[in-house]
Amino acid sequence: MTVSTKPKVAFFDFTGCEGCQLTVIDALQTHADLLSAVEIVQFREAMSERDEDYQIAFIEGSCSRTSDEARLKAIREQAQIVVALGACAHLGGVNALRNWQSSDDVRRYVYGQGGKLYDSHKALPIQAIIRVECFIPGCPIDRNEFVNALKALLQHRLPRLPDYPVCAECKLNENECLFMRGIPCLGSVTRAGCGAICPSFGACCEGCRGLVSDPNIGWLRAVAVEHGLREGGFEAASRLFLSHELMESEGDRHGKH
Amino acid sequence: MNLQVLPKGALVEWIELLSARYRVIGPKRKQEVVQQQPAGDTQQPPREQYIFGELQGAHELELSYPSTILPPKKVFLPQKEELFSFKDNGHQVDLQLDERRTVIFGIHTCDLHAVLLLDQAFSQGAADQHYMARRANTTLVSIECLEPCSENAFCKDMGTWIMPETFDLHLTDLGHEYALEIGSAKGSELLQNLTNIRTATETDYWRFNQVISAKWARFPYRLEADLSELPSLLAISYRSQVWEELGQQCLGCGTCTAVCPTCYCFDVVDEVNFDLTSGKRFRVWDSCQFGQFASVAGGHDFRNSRAARLRHRFYHKFKYQSDSFGLAGCVGCGRCAEACLVNIKPIDVINKLHRKRVAVSGKRQEVMG
Ligand code: SF4
Ligand code: SF4
Ligand code: SF4
Ligand code: SF4
Ligand code: SF4
Repeated sequence: MTVSTKPKVAFFDFTGCEGCQLTVIDALQTHADLLSAVEIVQFREAMSERDEDYQIAFIEGSCSRTSDEARLKAIREQAQIVVALGACAHLGGVNALRNWQSSDDVRRYVYGQGGKLYDSHKALPIQAIIRVECFIPGCPIDRNEFVNALKALLQHRLPRLPDYPVCAECKLNENECLFMRGIPCLGSVTRAGCGAICPSFGACCEGCRGLVSDPNIGWLRAVAVEHGLREGGFEAASRLFLSHELMESEGDRHGKH
Repeated sequence: MNLQVLPKGALVEWIELLSARYRVIGPKRKQEVVQQQPAGDTQQPPREQYIFGELQGAHELELSYPSTILPPKKVFLPQKEELFSFKDNGHQVDLQLDERRTVIFGIHTCDLHAVLLLDQAFSQGAADQHYMARRANTTLVSIECLEPCSENAFCKDMGTWIMPETFDLHLTDLGHEYALEIGSAKGSELLQNLTNIRTATETDYWRFNQVISAKWARFPYRLEADLSELPSLLAISYRSQVWEELGQQCLGCGTCTAVCPTCYCFDVVDEVNFDLTSGKRFRVWDSCQFGQFASVAGGHDFRNSRAARLRHRFYHKFKYQSDSFGLAGCVGCGRCAEACLVNIKPIDVINKLHRKRVAVSGKRQEVMG
């Protein structure tokens, strides 16, 4: 047996659809040289071996059960670098839609009478439980962004995420703004990096990469109303991915935190 | 002036001739992707939009286009371009220069003025090899606008609605024919082997003058301040409330700088290979409207406010660029106004600043008188 000096990488999944892990598997097909740079020691979705000795942990999925928290903390203990992989780990993801209702109600709808036996709570980004060094946003993640982030980590730096809105990339692609066609879009408050893939294919941005650090939600709301979206329509559209972030900023505004 | 006349029908032959020797770029229709939306949706069909793109033939060329989404700067300064590749930790560098011979058809005069400003920006000091290589290999065929392209355009105010002194080849639509002015050797080279072209007669000159003088009345002045006053108007408006108000609206999206023909800010990024010793260096467009590269974990950074960034853009366009290049930094093309989702428009901003100043000096006079 040879002892590898390559950094050891592990993948973990929590509450999510595993789409981001599939994107990673896809990236392994197109970037076979990735495996010459790192050793993957744990990846349930792709292999059966398991090794608990790793330096970089990629975590997919949101934290939605009390029992998840201990597992997350154990990963944090072991890993030097923790990366939140995809919208669920980064933002709570689509799962966080349920945070608008009480967890008791949610358990009752889903599990019926036995609901009380489950320890599920609000769907939280993993950052709510443990320290996270960096994020790879998106639902699912962008393959190239994953590859570039890994390269940055191998160079001992943190990957740099764009902190400007999707609109910027939308213009680089020379798209007509979807608002001009009466289609409301969240691109102007959402973090770029996906190459504005949705608007470039005629579909609105749903905010899967999370908010930029200084989103002008108030004026976007006004723009949406000006272009014919009914009052409250913005809130409805933004809940898909931004529930947790919006609830947090609501909380900030009311002084609790 | 040496005026030539070309029948419109000869465009087909001309583009064909040129395509054998050059990459030919011109304004053409943009095909938007339309998704099926749920029934009862408010969606409208896409509007006609134009972009500069490579032409497959004269049939694609839309010379009476109003404006394009992005200006022709993208030909000289692509949104993302490889500068060089490197090996061996950067000890071995392989420079990438794009020297394709290119013709850009149908540039409006505002955009032509803008290219002259870019030329200055990229040639001053240590000249930018990548820009210069593309520029040196490109010939510009401009076209006279006979109508304002939109209500957001204010090229007459900025003095860019007419030709700059430097140009290659310039077209004016005379109805069934184009008048051609030749401005450079590069420009006249484009006319090689063209059979249908003839020297203008006295009647042609008369028609040409008619067309040009009829243009004057069709273009309104839209700024209330004079071009020469703009730098000083901005200088005294640094603390104006206007910036705060606009900063509240601005989304910080950088659309305005992307679509601006005289914006040239860029960022440089490396993409390494997994050996971590080789890779490529790219240049990508950047914008002064983007905030600081704040930490990703929602670290709010209010040092650099949207109001301050927006003010910087207006200062750069209407003062700094004209101070350093002696050319108008804004050419009045109206693209930023057209594209801004929250309707921040240079005409309105300048007029607002101007009115505030007039009001203030009016008050002063009252007090003194
Ligand atoms: S981030 Fe999106 S794609 Fe990835 S696991 Fe969650 S829901 Fe699925
Ligand atoms: S379509 Fe969306 S992303 Fe594109 S410019 Fe409009 S709001 Fe921005
Ligand atoms: S355009 Fe918006 S929804 Fe689509 S991938 Fe990008 S961030 Fe996600
Ligand atoms: S002025 Fe308009 S286009 Fe420019 S950054 Fe602000 S919102 Fe975007
Ligand atoms: S500032 Fe606006 S109007 Fe002026 S040149 Fe740039 S895009 Fe055109």
